[in-house]
Amino acid sequence: MVDVLAPETTTVQIDGPWVVRLRRLADVSRQVLSNPTTSAGLVIIILLLSLTVLAPVLTEPNVPNPYQMPRDWGARDAPPGTPGHLLGTTSTGGDVFYGVVWGARTSLRLSLIVVGVTVTVGTIVGSLAGFIGGKLDEMLMRAVDVLLAIPELIFALAIAAVLGPSFGNIIFALSVVFWVKYARIIRGQIIHVKQNEYVDAARITGDSKLNIFRKDVLPNSITPVIVQATLDMGGIVLTAATLSFIGLAEAGLAEWGVLVSDGQAGISAGKWWASTFPGLMVFLWALAFNLLGDGMRDVLDPRTEGR
Amino acid sequence: MQIREYLLRRLMIFPLIIVGTSMIVFGLSRVGGNPVAIYLEHEMSAAEVAELEERYGLNEPLPVQYLAWGRGVLTGDMGWSGVSAQPVTEALVNRIGATMELAIFSAIVAIALGIGLGTFGGARRNRWPDHLTRVFSISGASMPIFWFAILLLILFWVNLGWFSTGRSEPTIFSTISHPTGVYTLDALLAGNIRALLDALHHLILPAATLGFGATAIIARMMRSSLVEELSEDYVDAARAKGLPEKLVMRRHARRNALIPTVTVIGLGFGFLLQGTVVVEIIFRWPGLGRWMADAVLRGDQATIMAYVLFTSVLFLTVNLIVDIMYAYLDRRIVLGA
Amino acid sequence: MTVRADTSRELATRPLVASVRDLRVHFEAKAGRVHAVDGVSFEIRDGETLGLVGETGCGKSVTARSFIRLVPTPPGIYAGGEIDFWSTVARRTGVGPIDLLEIPHKEMLAIRGDRIAMIFQDPGKALNPALSIRSQMAEVFYQHRSEEILMSLGPDVPWIIRRAARQQSNSFESILLKMPPWRAKAAGLRKKVDELVAHALTETQIANPRKIMDSYPHELSGGMKQRVLIAQALACHPDLLIADEPTTALDVTIQARILELIAELQERLETSVLYISHDLSLVKEICDRVAVMYAGRIVETGTTEEIFSNPAHPYTRGLMAAVPSATHQRGKLAAIDGTVPELVDPPPSCRFNGRCPYAVDICRTVDPSDIDLGGGHEVACFIYETSLDSSVRPTRERRTS
Repeated sequence: MVDVLAPETTTVQIDGPWVVRLRRLADVSRQVLSNPTTSAGLVIIILLLSLTVLAPVLTEPNVPNPYQMPRDWGARDAPPGTPGHLLGTTSTGGDVFYGVVWGARTSLRLSLIVVGVTVTVGTIVGSLAGFIGGKLDEMLMRAVDVLLAIPELIFALAIAAVLGPSFGNIIFALSVVFWVKYARIIRGQIIHVKQNEYVDAARITGDSKLNIFRKDVLPNSITPVIVQATLDMGGIVLTAATLSFIGLAEAGLAEWGVLVSDGQAGISAGKWWASTFPGLMVFLWALAFNLLGDGMRDVLDPRTEGR
Repeated sequence: MQIREYLLRRLMIFPLIIVGTSMIVFGLSRVGGNPVAIYLEHEMSAAEVAELEERYGLNEPLPVQYLAWGRGVLTGDMGWSGVSAQPVTEALVNRIGATMELAIFSAIVAIALGIGLGTFGGARRNRWPDHLTRVFSISGASMPIFWFAILLLILFWVNLGWFSTGRSEPTIFSTISHPTGVYTLDALLAGNIRALLDALHHLILPAATLGFGATAIIARMMRSSLVEELSEDYVDAARAKGLPEKLVMRRHARRNALIPTVTVIGLGFGFLLQGTVVVEIIFRWPGLGRWMADAVLRGDQATIMAYVLFTSVLFLTVNLIVDIMYAYLDRRIVLGA
Repeated sequence: MTVRADTSRELATRPLVASVRDLRVHFEAKAGRVHAVDGVSFEIRDGETLGLVGETGCGKSVTARSFIRLVPTPPGIYAGGEIDFWSTVARRTGVGPIDLLEIPHKEMLAIRGDRIAMIFQDPGKALNPALSIRSQMAEVFYQHRSEEILMSLGPDVPWIIRRAARQQSNSFESILLKMPPWRAKAAGLRKKVDELVAHALTETQIANPRKIMDSYPHELSGGMKQRVLIAQALACHPDLLIADEPTTALDVTIQARILELIAELQERLETSVLYISHDLSLVKEICDRVAVMYAGRIVETGTTEEIFSNPAHPYTRGLMAAVPSATHQRGKLAAIDGTVPELVDPPPSCRFNGRCPYAVDICRTVDPSDIDLGGGHEVACFIYETSLDSSVRPTRERRTS
């Protein structure tokens, strides 16, 4: 009574691999941005990046080093709204607005460097552990366990303290502390590929490790690494600001944590602006990257949100 | 019984990890400056310095130094704390009460609020309470503790004058004895209500600051855990039995959602530990965190090492306990699924 | 096996237990409104087993859950129709039916688990893994039989125990109940309930109920879990049992025993059963009548015998042909071409028209109505619409695709 229809023959267009990738990128982006909170995060990031780009335009760069707060002994502790000092001045006459704007630059440099280093180091270590396996893998994983035993902030604090107070040392300390998650992602992906049944076994055994890395590990690792890197952009600046606040950066640096710390003393006298505005910037920076990273994670790695 | 094997393995590795951590701490101390600085009590003569170097094997190769140092740690000799002008071990014991008090109060606040908020949001998924919970959670995770603390101080101390910094009002503090080092406990033991109130009064602001971030972490986990449980069949089956929604939530969904939430307690505790450094600075709390902050600024190696070692061991222990608890609670579920 | 009523006439004389009329349940989705159940009508009579058959996604589960309003209401919407229900008491006292879609929530809670019970597909998932069997089953009795239990405890029952029996204890009271003066009384309450639970378990032929009561779900086999769930569902002797594919997740060997158990209990307790399934061979074995569902609508209803020997609707006929049977000759496995249509804001039409070999214009533009073929056999298909002119009417003789 019912029979199977004769199969139609149609010609099928197959898009090139890059077209497919771009289309997927567009789809994913649309999905990510459909969430209003995620889009809000992206907007804030764009605003922050504009600040970094426009720093020399918005303010008069300090000489000789624009990353040092200018000192104007004639205009100390000026409240916000004072002409020429939109957000007021610090106890040494530094313009708070200047600190806010150039602090954004400092934070951007810091986070890009640390993310770059940690992703690289993490990928290398993770690849070694994953590809070589065996004893080396075990040793590396034990080392990772040991590193994770020390809470991140405290570890970075100790390293920076031992090396001496300088912003460069803060960058170094953070790099030492933050690479671990990437190693785990890469290693996990390699192990997954090794165990994967429906990957062409012949190709795996015949292919060079580099090829496997390129074709199987890399494409699948990109998304979790990007998500983690986005979240880290926020977390690194947060931790760095805390370290600077405690006092591990050079005095007078145009960095948000330093500014909050400098402004602390004036609080009991009612001079709230020197700490509040830079601190607000740290919050906004971390918030924006967390919102974006979270939104990306929901789309790219959904687990329970699907129901 | 893979869980049991897993736990046994964790227990066996535990001391190894502690040893590994101690090696890192030791390595750090050798990176910065003069190793003998850890043991220097005051201006010492060359003879005294030489004697110290002899005692702690500071002229020997590194592994020997490590063993000497390690032996010292195990016997309670971690050097001299320049910052507090006492042996490190003594300073640690003196300050631990203050930090533990703060941490525990913050933890209680964080757990109670976090679970409550997570339940509030998770039960009303995608409606406004849920969005509120999520905004709160992300804010909590992004909030710089030092900024939040300062904001609270500006509002409640400078402007409203309701609270102040410090751990106690010195005049009240000195009216009772302090056997435990935990102010609230001491007040209870002494039966002194005024002291108890004083202790609590000073705890509120720092605990709120510390608790905020941890609340966010716990609320977020509780929310997603609850959402997951609510989508399970047994919840519908419970409703089909005619149970009112409150009972379904309380006895079935929420109770089971609490179990995975236990896992973030370890994470939250780490957060609390790190937060104490900043909070103790800003609120002038005489605990371990401030001790470490001072040490960092003055390059007091001994204190730094001791603090890092102590917090790591504490962190590891709490995580291990949490994992054991989780394995115990989850045993039934894991075996069944 | 149920004592099968072979004649539709006999079936038609039994009083009604439930009457579903033009039930519509929709879901709000990003793409629009999904008409998951779109005008479903059928009846369940006293003591019978009605099978609701259809493929995955046809809306049979949603229909079943609507009886006890278990469909989550965002995103679900009860968009129309009624489900009239006559409890045994209502039938005896001559009171009219209640509309299950309209009654207030508190009344629905009283009906769930007491007058209408439901068993789910996967017994492993329908039990709370963290609670013992005893505590889960006890909930049913606390919820619906608390007053009788309290009365059996004698005259002086403290208020705290009363609240405990009604499952209203707050945390403070729970702590008190563990302490000496109230502990004994609470234990007495628990003992009474334990007896009820044990009795319910023995009714399902479980050999050592006490041992099962102390167990946790993960300690029991799949078949045993389903027995427990059946015992739980029938504990209050409901008037209607809704079974949503209760044997799908079980081994074939256990399936037969579970089905026997349901049939036996049904007969003894005089319960009617709404049996949801996609497995035609099962339905043939145990159901008195069958309603075939497709894409949110009932396409055909009738006695089991009628439906299986004289399937009228092209979809039903396709289903029959697709069922491999031990008695049929070996040959090609016939499949029905195509897939279930999108149910988002559908236009008026017969939902099967895309896959129907006989579809004509009218099938694509007008909703078919139910046509009575006699003997309780109804079908919703224009082939049987005698009022239509033969030029527009589809027929089984003329294939159009």
